[in-house]
Amino acid sequence: MTEASLLGAPWRTASLDQPAGWRCDAPAASEAVTWRAFHERIGAWQVLLDTLATPGRRWLLHLKDPLEFAAALIACWERGDSVVLPADDRPDTLAGVDRITHARLGDVAKAHLATPRGASPRWGKLNAERLAVSLYTSGSTGDPQRLNKSFAQLDAELATHARLWPLEGRLVISQVSHQHIYGLLFAILRPLCEGAPMAMSLCRYPETLSDWLWRLDRTRRHSQDAPPGAVLISAPPPLERLPREIDWEAAPRVLKRVHSSGAALSWAASEHACELLGVAVSEIYGSSETGGIAWRIQQQGERWMPLAGVEVRDDCHGALWLRSPFLSSGDWQRQADRISLEGDGFRLLGRSDRILKVGGKRLSLTAMDRALGGHPGVVQARTVWLPERDTRLGAIVQLAPERLPHDHAARRDLIETLRRHLLAAFESTVVPRYWRFVDAWPTDTQGKLSGTVVRRLFRDLEDRRVPRWLGVERQDDDHCRMTLEVPERLRYVQGHFDRHPVVPGVVIVQWIVELAREHLGVSGVFQRLERVKFPTLLVPGERVTLSLALTHDARDTRLAFTARSPRGTHATGRVVFHAQEVNHVE
Amino acid sequence: MSPVSNDLELELKHLIIDTLELEDVTPDDIDRDEPLFVEGLGLDSIDALELGLALQKTYGIKLDADSEESRHHFADLKSLAALVEARRVK
Repeated sequence: MTEASLLGAPWRTASLDQPAGWRCDAPAASEAVTWRAFHERIGAWQVLLDTLATPGRRWLLHLKDPLEFAAALIACWERGDSVVLPADDRPDTLAGVDRITHARLGDVAKAHLATPRGASPRWGKLNAERLAVSLYTSGSTGDPQRLNKSFAQLDAELATHARLWPLEGRLVISQVSHQHIYGLLFAILRPLCEGAPMAMSLCRYPETLSDWLWRLDRTRRHSQDAPPGAVLISAPPPLERLPREIDWEAAPRVLKRVHSSGAALSWAASEHACELLGVAVSEIYGSSETGGIAWRIQQQGERWMPLAGVEVRDDCHGALWLRSPFLSSGDWQRQADRISLEGDGFRLLGRSDRILKVGGKRLSLTAMDRALGGHPGVVQARTVWLPERDTRLGAIVQLAPERLPHDHAARRDLIETLRRHLLAAFESTVVPRYWRFVDAWPTDTQGKLSGTVVRRLFRDLEDRRVPRWLGVERQDDDHCRMTLEVPERLRYVQGHFDRHPVVPGVVIVQWIVELAREHLGVSGVFQRLERVKFPTLLVPGERVTLSLALTHDARDTRLAFTARSPRGTHATGRVVFHAQEVNHVE
Repeated sequence: MSPVSNDLELELKHLIIDTLELEDVTPDDIDRDEPLFVEGLGLDSIDALELGLALQKTYGIKLDADSEESRHHFADLKSLAALVEARRVK
């Protein structure tokens, strides 16, 4: 077999009866989606593209369905086009990409989709220096930046992965977005190049993963055409949150490998995942800019081993320097992470100092984070600059559960304690003014405390009608649980009862409806309330857990809610939504 | 304490909280005899400047934020209320 590469266009010569995709939840014997069917999807996309523009264009592509995404991508490439992958589907993100692309393709607003009818694909010409995709950095180190990847760059990385972790026909199951480099390489391009099938949809929840592994385990026993096993493309958030209560017994029989990237996996999470899934996690360290740099399996050691062809050294400040075939230039490049070299690998020591000027004073945010992290009861902390408040800092502090403040007085005491702790080392003007205490580290789906998550945590500063939002935990599409606090300066509590301010019930219901739209995608029209009670008054400074659960029938969506704190139940009941009338817009 | 100064003190408490956007402080948390700066409420030099601006805007009081005199007036809520009552032009 020739080496897996995009330039070799292996999809053109794949055995047409073999599976390119696998429907993990389909009835037995109807799981496989063949390369023949995949070719027809490529053809269908080319028919669409031909009606939109002559070849040589750039397209915005956003599509959650992995195989259909792959078909659209190859249709573009074989036609002589390139694609830009927006980092997410938010209107602002898409509008930014619109400026440099011809039109939108995929599953977002105003995007074109290929018809279900298949067509014969047309093969074109790929060459090494041609631009294949542009994508965006996660923005964890500042504003998202666009990066261009040529076929040669992607191929260098794919070949390295294929040698280290050959797929050998196994099913690729992904829990990460392929709009980013890690998901794109591991969940889409590798199975395409190595002729391995990919799961037809993203596997977002642990229950789904367990179910899919059980099904594959059964199918494998009586069908020779079934994939011989599976590889899981994951990230710290899903791996840290694998529930023990689910039956993982099939996992060790089916899973050959588990990958994680996007952020470092804690030792505890790597042990947890290894114990439940029966296979140690292969982590990849890298970034959108650099591609993969190194990998490790923590059960074999904490050290990171550079990927083949990647050269690593440090300087007198401990900064990581890199020379890599996955970069566009062959020069040494300095990185923001600090390392210590050990044998033929290295340890990561965290990022180089984040330096900021606050009120004219130079401050190392990293040092502030370390100081906060050193206080008893603080699990980890991140000091953040708030764009709307350039003289004052915010702090996100994860606390041990018993230290969380549940009311105004406890929160004030805690802030005072942390302030005094910091005043030992910092001037009072740089000590954070806005505090967000969380019980779990808030991240996006990539496992990062991104700018978007930070802005969400501090939104109540800019909008005095909303509760303070302190993180959400999604159980599945219909269930989530979030932590909220009632801001002392909430507009609605002022003057309600002068001496004993409380949050009016109608405001609580309004919050619940808005949060259900935000986190559970509820889109129906508000109809009525059922069995609503507010047994315990909700007061400023109070910290509550809000549980939301959706049920659906043919006509209505019912949202059951409960808001609780250690003092009692503050709100419980149901909101009924009617399905929205669908307007078909051309 | 006269009812007038009581009202003014509450008004000043709201002015301090709103001007400095103190998210975790309610009027009840501000003691009229407790220091506003460093100890007590924990305000700092940037807050002093912003508070000076707010007093100017709301009551027409002019202050030199660095002078010993203003430091004295900013000592606690009680002195601040006395300053506003004595010097307000709005």
